[in-house]
Amino acid sequence: MKQLLPGLILLLWASLCSSCSPTPAETSSTIRIRWARDPENLDPLIVDNPSANETINLLHCSLLQASEAARGYTPWLAAAMPTTQALNDSLLLITYQIRPEATWDNGSPVLARDVAFTLKVMNCPGLPIEIAQAHYGVIRDIRLDPQDSRRFTLVCVGQDVGTSGDYAILPEYALDPQGKLRTVSVPELRRQQQPALAAEFARRYQSLELARHPERAPGCGPYRLVKWQNGRSLTLQRKTSWWADKLSAPPAVLQAFPERLTFQVIPDAATATLALRRGELDLYSLMPAGEFARLQQSATDTQRLQFHTIDSYQFLTASFNVRRPALQNRLTRQALTHLFNVPALIQASQQGAAYPSVSLISPRLKPYYNDSLPLPDFNPAQAVQLLQQAGWQRSATGSWLRGTTAQPVLLKLSVSYRAGEPSFETAALQFRAAATALGIPVELRPTEPSLLSRQVRAGETDILINNLSGQPFSYDFTSLLHSSSVGVSNFTGFSNPAADNLIEQLVATQQPARKIILLRRFQRLLAQERPFTVLYFLKYRIAATRRLGHIPVTGLKPGYEAARIRPLPLPVQ
Amino acid sequence: MAGWPLLRYTARTLLAAWFILSGLFLLSRAHTDRNTFLQNSTEGNGRRLSASDQAHTTQQLLQRYGLDVPLFYVTLGSAAATGHISWRWHGSRNQYHQWFRQLLAGDLGTSYRDGAPVTEVLSQSLSYTLPLTLLAALGSMGLTLALVLWLSHRPRWRSAWLSGLHVLRALPLFLLATCLLLLLANPDVLAWFPTFGLGLEVEEVAWWQQPGRLLYFLTLPTLSLVLVTVPGLVVQLNGALQHELEQPYIATARAKGASSIRVVRHHALRNALLPTVALLSELLPNLVAGATVVEVLFALPGMGRLLAESAAAQDYPVLLGAVGLVALVRVAAQVLADGLYRVLDPRIRTHA
Repeated sequence: MKQLLPGLILLLWASLCSSCSPTPAETSSTIRIRWARDPENLDPLIVDNPSANETINLLHCSLLQASEAARGYTPWLAAAMPTTQALNDSLLLITYQIRPEATWDNGSPVLARDVAFTLKVMNCPGLPIEIAQAHYGVIRDIRLDPQDSRRFTLVCVGQDVGTSGDYAILPEYALDPQGKLRTVSVPELRRQQQPALAAEFARRYQSLELARHPERAPGCGPYRLVKWQNGRSLTLQRKTSWWADKLSAPPAVLQAFPERLTFQVIPDAATATLALRRGELDLYSLMPAGEFARLQQSATDTQRLQFHTIDSYQFLTASFNVRRPALQNRLTRQALTHLFNVPALIQASQQGAAYPSVSLISPRLKPYYNDSLPLPDFNPAQAVQLLQQAGWQRSATGSWLRGTTAQPVLLKLSVSYRAGEPSFETAALQFRAAATALGIPVELRPTEPSLLSRQVRAGETDILINNLSGQPFSYDFTSLLHSSSVGVSNFTGFSNPAADNLIEQLVATQQPARKIILLRRFQRLLAQERPFTVLYFLKYRIAATRRLGHIPVTGLKPGYEAARIRPLPLPVQ
Repeated sequence: MAGWPLLRYTARTLLAAWFILSGLFLLSRAHTDRNTFLQNSTEGNGRRLSASDQAHTTQQLLQRYGLDVPLFYVTLGSAAATGHISWRWHGSRNQYHQWFRQLLAGDLGTSYRDGAPVTEVLSQSLSYTLPLTLLAALGSMGLTLALVLWLSHRPRWRSAWLSGLHVLRALPLFLLATCLLLLLANPDVLAWFPTFGLGLEVEEVAWWQQPGRLLYFLTLPTLSLVLVTVPGLVVQLNGALQHELEQPYIATARAKGASSIRVVRHHALRNALLPTVALLSELLPNLVAGATVVEVLFALPGMGRLLAESAAAQDYPVLLGAVGLVALVRVAAQVLADGLYRVLDPRIRTHA
């Protein structure tokens, strides 16, 4: 016993000494990327956070992929963009052809029946994929081409071609080896006409536990899952022979260079920055402005790191609850817009790395952006004038009142925002300072996210400061601003027949020239009505080690394309 | 304590555990925001559903989670017209009944986020938390004893040290942990320790290297916890020790010729440690609950982070499981503390 204790201490000391190498040696084959959160669920049909989305896009392929460069969708598994044909007023036939080179891991080709299988899974009752079922419910049926096993036609409701192809295609050979779902059609599954068959399949699908074991549904993407330690890290390995390697000049969407990708979950930004500086991380995207600026000013860090900023489609807004008596008049909302000092706000919270906009369309989208509208300026005198035009009168006490003497409405506002977000808080504080100077009492309400979400839906907020995400390829504002979405996702409560009409026309039109006219008109209407005001569009900040070479950055989350990073070869020792 | 008293004591403890768990279940479920489940998912993937789709999908989700049935056996309501309070009986088809039946079978349900059994999620988080908190607890206790004994022989230093410890005690954990990180894991100062996690899984290490590696990666998180825990313990134990040293039996011991070291270690310290037994009921639940701040800062997916994330995502089965576990450990710690008191102090035994 007396010898055992020193022995144990010696062993511990030896193992401690052998482990004391904080900075792992840099290898060209592995790229280590920071994630703020774990994917949590990797079922390819349940993608509900950016980490899961990034992983699924590396493990699986869809027919189409949203592309910033193309400002729309580009073919991925599809050989070309699909052809469309209107069947009647509501139904659209969308015909796809799958790339002939596309194969599964077992060497069998990716065929139209795999797409049919995926659609059947999406419509199978009893699976925990309700959101995907609702979202892709617009695909009513699939018709396989009897002559060509890679060709098929989707019967869809509406005009959205992108939705018909942006879901991961699942391998039938792995999930339904006996082809039991082949005997049932998509409409039959939707109508629940084969409950026994569907229940049996749902039981088998659930038993695979794809949420935590995505490797059980091997996709046709370039990577396979090596290890996933929940909450810690996720490692992907490039397939030794991926089908797109056969292409002589693969398009960007089919390029995959890194041998190994390791995503490290590091929730805290300061820790992630330290890890990047010490070489424990290779790439850190969506970096806070302060940390990014500090690194850029450090001589040692600029030697090791490269820095990128890219205009994103995410924007900060101040939304007015138009159902509130004080905010019903559009002149009042216009007046309050003049109390935000956007350039100062950009400097204070984003270190100058953001850009203002007249509306929810990014100024990068030049044809669609209405550049003839003036940017909202900080102008308290103009605000006073507009308030007076809206019928507000300043009382002897300095407060603003409107309405009859018996039932006066007091201009008193609350600003709600998610607690703990510095950029929201800065905007709220700035607004309060400007409003208070005019005699408008403003109460700040930093709120816990789920409580805030509840208050917003119930219409209990006055002004809400939050981030909204746009896209360069979708201009459907139904959920955000259409009167049919009031109380659901239209949190401003904005309801305007002219706006409804424009939103409906935008959804229906496919002609770019017409879309430009409608979008510009829509922006003008929003500038007049001001259900919300866009404060600025964010820039994504990416810092990475120089050994990674050129970083393909994008304005869409996560801000980079991991598969297209081509690490520089290590110098010969 | 044997026979009926033991049985009564066990029954009382079990009743307390049932009461706590039922209270937690009913409170958390009563505050569940049904629409937020869908909201979280749709916000995460950018898919926007129409109003009718949202209503339908929410209903499907509620059905899957078992939230579409009444919460309890009875629902109370008040009839506006008459002003009387009315109640409605739902029978066994209610959330509480189903949950309790599952609980008796040892099933804590599944996570709303990934469908994983709650027991599995908890054990995974505990595997990260327990090494950290156990190391911190052992380190704190060891350091406290050493420091108190050292101070007992150096009365001139005591006041300065106690002042310093009070200052340390006033520092919030996040500040202390960040300072340690910026001092000891910073390439600009001292890069002695790793910044996060437990190492890359791609780095294979031999079995004999595992303990050292774990210790190396846990040094900074453990040190953070030790530094915030030790001041409180030292102040209390030092106070108790000084109190004991003024007792007549100490004078007797000294008169019998015992050395000052022996007087402190064999006579005063034993009695001074008695009040710290009460700290056991605090220490054990904290071992299980983890340390959210440290786990977030050092990227360790332990119980603290699990509690915070499941609360933010309204993952109530996991939240209830984790909070229930902490509550049960607290009850168990109190039982243990009671038992220890009886063993250590004969006066309590005779009064029981």
